[in-house]
Amino acid sequence: MVQNRNKLIELFIGNISNAIVHEILEKAVGKELLADKYRKELASSFEIASRYREKINPVNRPLPDKDVVYIKGRIIARVRAELLIRISKGYENINLGLIESLTDKALSDSMVG
Amino acid sequence: MDQIYIPKNRVGFDIGNYVVIKILKDEYIEEPAEKLCFYGINKLEPIKLHIIHEVFRVVDKYTDNLENVIITGSFLEKGFSFNDIDIIIVIENNVKSERISEDIGDKIGVNGHVMILSGKGLIEGLNTDPLYQMMLSRCVAKKRFFYKTRQTINYKLLDLHLLKSKTLIDNFYLLSGKEKYNFVRNMISIYLFLEKKKVTVDSVNKEIKKTFGVDVLEIKNNVLNKKSFLKKYKFVYNMVFDSILKGIEHGSK
Repeated sequence: MVQNRNKLIELFIGNISNAIVHEILEKAVGKELLADKYRKELASSFEIASRYREKINPVNRPLPDKDVVYIKGRIIARVRAELLIRISKGYENINLGLIESLTDKALSDSMVG
Repeated sequence: MDQIYIPKNRVGFDIGNYVVIKILKDEYIEEPAEKLCFYGINKLEPIKLHIIHEVFRVVDKYTDNLENVIITGSFLEKGFSFNDIDIIIVIENNVKSERISEDIGDKIGVNGHVMILSGKGLIEGLNTDPLYQMMLSRCVAKKRFFYKTRQTINYKLLDLHLLKSKTLIDNFYLLSGKEKYNFVRNMISIYLFLEKKKVTVDSVNKEIKKTFGVDVLEIKNNVLNKKSFLKKYKFVYNMVFDSILKGIEHGSK
């Protein structure tokens, strides 16, 4: 299915956000998390985000600053909202301070910014 | 003249043929293979049995005081559409899983996905993770096992596991049928676990059929109707997620 650039960016944002939420929750769960290789077959959100990234031009160099600012802002907002749902229910040890640094890392790893 | 009865349609032997009966020399008689322990499996292709024996031989080479070796996953499904062999080595010592995987790859030509677990770790997994329960509901083990488990619901862990299945909602067209099936299976196994129902390969597949009104093969073959399937999927996902959030809420009070 052909998707336009804006749609691809939204899908990229959704998957990267999911990957970051997962990473922060993993840290919150800590030692209780067992070897999770059984879920190796589940395509990770980061991997799926990368599939979208490959379709967003420019493919081989960072996106324009305007796009980076937009994407970063949307990811931070989405991750924060997802985590706040859990915090409001009494989920402890969620470190909101990690959101920005993990977002920067994810954007750099996927050659967005 | 003695008579020998063999099954019908045996290629090369017609009714009334004369044959020679000869004692097989000792060197041609294979040593009886190590007996395997089957769980939830009635039949396995001979070539797969041979591969399992080879895997056990490789694992033996690299380990001492082995508690058990368990083969599980898609390798045990009928046919040959598996990507790798899931191997759980139950052992207390540290073992280099990479070397075992490499050796299995070299000897058998199939990727060995090795997971090292202590006996305690495996029991913990069976107590808290529906996917562990499902995987061990269909497996072949080197030694007979009986793990006394007590289901413990850890809502934070289940939240983390469920989050992976969220991926299907936004990426329906991008995912292959097998990927879709894995996400659905993950979600349904969590649902059954929360309902304190048995989590086995069969119970999960039955629940998938009941919930979505489609056969597992339709999901794997990627021939789903997006609109109706996603509607049900989102409903189940939100229901399971709400139930987990309630659990977290009550647990924190």
